[in-house]
Amino acid sequence: MEIFWRTIAYYNNSTWMFQVVIVLTGILLTILLIRKPTQQLKLGMKIYLIGLNIWIAVVYYSIYCRERDFNNVLSVFWGIMALIWIGDAIKGHTTFNRTHKHDFLAYLLMLMPFLYPVASLIRGLSFPEMTSPVMPCSVAVFTIGLLLLFSERVNMFIVLFLCHWSIIAISKTYFFDIPEDFLLASASVPALYLFFKEYFVRDLHKDTKPKAKYINLLLILLCVIIGILLTITLLMALRK
Amino acid sequence: MTNDILLQYTKFIAGYAAHLMGCGIHTSRVIRNTRRIGESLNFDLQISVFQKSMILTMQDKETQKTFSEVVEIPALPISFEHNSELSALSWEAVDKRLPFDVLNDKYTKIISAPRIDPLFVLLLVGFANASFCKLFGGDWMSMVIVFSATIAGFFVRMQMLKKHINHYIIFIVSSFTASLLASTSLIFDITSDIAIATSVLYLIPGVPLINGVIDIVEGHTLTGISRLTNAFLLIVCVAIGLSITLLLVHDRLL
Repeated sequence: MEIFWRTIAYYNNSTWMFQVVIVLTGILLTILLIRKPTQQLKLGMKIYLIGLNIWIAVVYYSIYCRERDFNNVLSVFWGIMALIWIGDAIKGHTTFNRTHKHDFLAYLLMLMPFLYPVASLIRGLSFPEMTSPVMPCSVAVFTIGLLLLFSERVNMFIVLFLCHWSIIAISKTYFFDIPEDFLLASASVPALYLFFKEYFVRDLHKDTKPKAKYINLLLILLCVIIGILLTITLLMALRK
Repeated sequence: MTNDILLQYTKFIAGYAAHLMGCGIHTSRVIRNTRRIGESLNFDLQISVFQKSMILTMQDKETQKTFSEVVEIPALPISFEHNSELSALSWEAVDKRLPFDVLNDKYTKIISAPRIDPLFVLLLVGFANASFCKLFGGDWMSMVIVFSATIAGFFVRMQMLKKHINHYIIFIVSSFTASLLASTSLIFDITSDIAIATSVLYLIPGVPLINGVIDIVEGHTLTGISRLTNAFLLIVCVAIGLSITLLLVHDRLL
């Protein structure tokens, strides 16, 4: 756990200026994309996300988290996410068109990366040994929010990787004493439910077994189970 | 009985037999069921089964007229439901002496019944693999990670199948995806070795392996060896995918 926070401090100390640039670029691109979603801007956002994922894979995990065991696993994980975004940019799968269905949750998720450092400060941490907006979980929660805001057609491979990352976040809260990750885990459960539901809703016109409403109930049940798991982990972490 | 009707019957029975073979039923059962259907329509049947096709020769018991049909075995998803319902249909046909039209209608109804929802399959496969993880001694956290990794791997498989990509490549990529995601368990102090090993179990071709052995034991050596060879190649593909992950995250295979 000491190594975990030491590497974070090392990363924040060395890259805070780059992080500011990355955050400002993200804010600018998001605002422009919401206001005037042109094809160039959509491509620009994808390129930004490719860069962001490469940053996490190379700069965060390969360079600054070198001390941690199996840092290469997570580096490969984020590298593959970057590859999926490259594929998406070439094929144009994610349309970045808005549906206005889940705006509230989407905006909330996109604000989460800024709540991360606030949560760290509230629990008594100080710079540089604290969470920042350009860290894996913050990037994951921002991406989920962005995809939810522009959810007309999303890349489910990315959603599944982010879903997996959220599950890891639940474990991280317990193993690495990083309760900030509850933000990602708790916020992403309803988002992931919506992604799955909407993706598979397209097939609902087809007659399948069991009926669509039961599948939906199963999905809700699964999310409730994850929610309960999350609460138990939170209670265990608080008891510590 | 006119030649046209005889030809129609032959084609129906050939389609029935090919469908049974395609959806993963062992050869002797296919032959038994098909002969039963033939008997219900007053035919004697001789069947030769090969890896990709089958030859049926039907003889009308009354007129002694003979018809032969060569039919390709389609690549269908494994279906225990079709297996049981089409077998039951063959018994019903012979017990109740079902007229051809009724038989044909029932057959069409069975094979065009609604598919199991892909999301339902996805979730159940995830639960099944997580259960495997528990059975092999994995802890709860490993189970959750295996569940998520399996869902991702299986989703990749579903998408690639939709695009009709070569199934050996599908197995390699799916195995790599599931094992890579499961390897994220390495960062925690949990049973990560069990998580990685069990994350690819959903890809093991159990039905062809069992059918292959049954076929060889029952004397259908040709189809048995063919099924076992296919299953073996798929297992090699799973191993390749898993090996890529291990080389990436471990720098070695074991």
